Amino acid sequence: MIDFVGIKVQNNKEARTNMSFIEVKNLSKEYQIAISGKGISGAVKSLFHREYKIKKAVRDVSFSLEKGELVGYIGPNGAGKSTTIKMLSGVLIPTSGLVTVGGIIPYKDRRENAKHIGVVFGQRSQLYWDLPISDTFELYESLYSIPKDKFRENCAYFTELLDMKDFINQPVRQLSLGQKMKANIAIALLHDPDVLYLDEPTIGLDVTSKKILREALKNINAEKKTTVILTTHDMDDIEEVCHRLIMIDQGQKLFDGTLGDFRARYNDGFSLKLEFEGPSPLWQESRTYELLEQPPHQWIIKASEEITSKEAMIELIEKYNPTNIYVEEERIEEIVRRAYALN
Amino acid sequence: MKKYWTVFKKSLKSETIYRPAALAGIAGSLLGFFMQVFLWKALLGSGARRDTSFSDMLLFIIINSFMLELTRTNVAGIIENSMIDGTISMELLRPMSYKTFLLMNALGKNTYGTLTRTVPILIISVFLISGTPLPNLYHFILFIMSAFLGILLMFEVTYLAGLSAFWLQRCWFIEFYLMGFERIFGGTMVPIWFYPEWLKKMSFFLPFRYMTFEPINFFLGKTPVEEAWFPILMALFWLMALNVLDKCIWQMAVKRLTVNGG
Repeated sequence: MIDFVGIKVQNNKEARTNMSFIEVKNLSKEYQIAISGKGISGAVKSLFHREYKIKKAVRDVSFSLEKGELVGYIGPNGAGKSTTIKMLSGVLIPTSGLVTVGGIIPYKDRRENAKHIGVVFGQRSQLYWDLPISDTFELYESLYSIPKDKFRENCAYFTELLDMKDFINQPVRQLSLGQKMKANIAIALLHDPDVLYLDEPTIGLDVTSKKILREALKNINAEKKTTVILTTHDMDDIEEVCHRLIMIDQGQKLFDGTLGDFRARYNDGFSLKLEFEGPSPLWQESRTYELLEQPPHQWIIKASEEITSKEAMIELIEKYNPTNIYVEEERIEEIVRRAYALN
Repeated sequence: MKKYWTVFKKSLKSETIYRPAALAGIAGSLLGFFMQVFLWKALLGSGARRDTSFSDMLLFIIINSFMLELTRTNVAGIIENSMIDGTISMELLRPMSYKTFLLMNALGKNTYGTLTRTVPILIISVFLISGTPLPNLYHFILFIMSAFLGILLMFEVTYLAGLSAFWLQRCWFIEFYLMGFERIFGGTMVPIWFYPEWLKKMSFFLPFRYMTFEPINFFLGKTPVEEAWFPILMALFWLMALNVLDKCIWQMAVKRLTVNGG
C-alpha cells in the first residue's frame, strides 16, 4: 500500500516535469481574407458584396521548448512565422490547437502573460519618437513596476551590452535603424522576462549591428537564462546564435532539431571555388561534380559527399589547373533553399 | 497607478519638444480669439439679442477656447493610426489598460496645449474683461466639476468613434461627423442660448452640450445653483452609459483583432 502511494507520487512529479516550458500542440491559424475585384468596378462591387477566402497561415504545428533554449524559427516570407509568434505572445487566438507558456495560455490570459514575456516585432518601434530612449525606459520601469535597483542594474547592463551609451540621450527620431532595434530589445528585457520573442530582429541592419545584436542575444541567454525565440530568414542569425532551429514553410513544420542534425539531414557535400588566370577551360560533365555558377575566370563547383575534399582538390587541380582553389562547407542558406525545394 | 502618471508626464514632455509648433499654436489661437471677439462685438452691437451682453460673450469665448483646448486631442486618430501601422498589437501586450493609456496620453497633450494656447488669451483678456463679474465660489466649484466630467465625456465619445477603426480601418469621417454634432449640439461655435426652441430641446437629449457648454454656463452663473443637479447628473449618466457601451465594443474589437489579425 505504501509502495503504491509512493509510486503514485513519483508518477505525478514526472507528469509535471514532463510538461515543457513552452508547449505548442497541433497549432493552426486561419485568416479570412476579403478578395477585392479588379479595377474600379471590382472595388465598387466589393463595397456591396464581399467574397472571402480562407488562408491557412499555420497548419498543425507542434513543438515544445525548455527553459533557457535559444531557438531560431525560420522560413521564407509568409511562411507563418509571425503568426506563430503572435499566438505565442497572446495577440492572436489560434483557430485550433493549444499553446501554453509557463503554464499560462497566452491568448486567454493576455495581461498576465505579458508580464512574463518580452516582445520585439521587427519594424514596430515601442519607443517615444520625440524623446530620448531613457524616457521610454522610465515608462517601462513603471509599467512593469520594476524595483528601482533592479531597473538601474538592468539599464546599466543593457546599455553596456548593446553599446548604447553614445545615443541614449538622443531623441529617438534621430537614431538609426540599428540603434532603434537595440533600444527596442533593451526595453523588452528590462523587466527580466522569462521568454523573449523576436520577430525579424536583424532585418535591415548592417553587418556590425547584426554582429553586436547576435553577441548580445547569446550573452543574455547565457547570463539571464532567458528563453529566446527569434524568427528570421537570415541563416547567419541561426548559424551564429541558435542552438536549435525550427523550419516552417507554408504554415507547416518541415524540420525541428539542432543545427548539426539539420546539416546531416540536408547536407550533401561541399563546394569549391576555382580561379583561373586566363579564360576558364572547358567543363567536363561528371557525376561527382556539378558546376553551379561561372563568373568570369571562376567556377563554383559543388562536390558530392562521396569524396573527400582532398580527393576533390587533387582531381580538379590535375584536370583543370586552376591558379587558386578554395573549399567551402556548403552554406546553410543553400541547404535551406534545397530543403524547401525537397519538401 | 504610477504607470498612468508616467504616461501623462511623458506625453506632456513629448509635446514640449516642438517649440516652433507651440509658437504657431499661440499665434493661431490668438488670431482665432480676436476673430471671435470682433465677430460677436459686431453682431451684438447691432442689437441682435439684448439679453446677452458683450461681456457674457467675451467670457463665453474665453472659457470655450479653454474647454476646447482641454478636450482637443483626437484619440480616434491615435487608435486609427495604431490600427493602420499595426502597433495596436504591441499596445495589447503592455500590462495596462489601453483606454486609460489613451486617456492619460490625451490629457498630457491637452494640458500642454492649454498651457501654451489658452494662457496667452487669458492674459490678454484681463485687460478686456475689466468690470465683468467672475463666478462666486459655488459656481466656480460647479464649473470645475462639470468641466472635469465634460473632459471625460469628450474622451468617451472620441474613444468610441476610434474603436470603430477596428472594423473600418479608417474612422476620420466618423470623427468629422462627431465634430459637426459637437458644434451644433454642443454649442461650441454659437452658444445654445441663441438657438431656436426645438434645437435647444434636442440638445438636452444628446451628450454634446454637457462637454463644454454646461461648464461654461456654470462659470457665467447662468445655471442657478439649485438647478445644477440636472447637467451634472446628465453628464454622469452619459459617462456611465458610454462607459458600458465602450466596454462591450472593446471586447468585440479585441476579439476581432485577435481572431483575424492586425
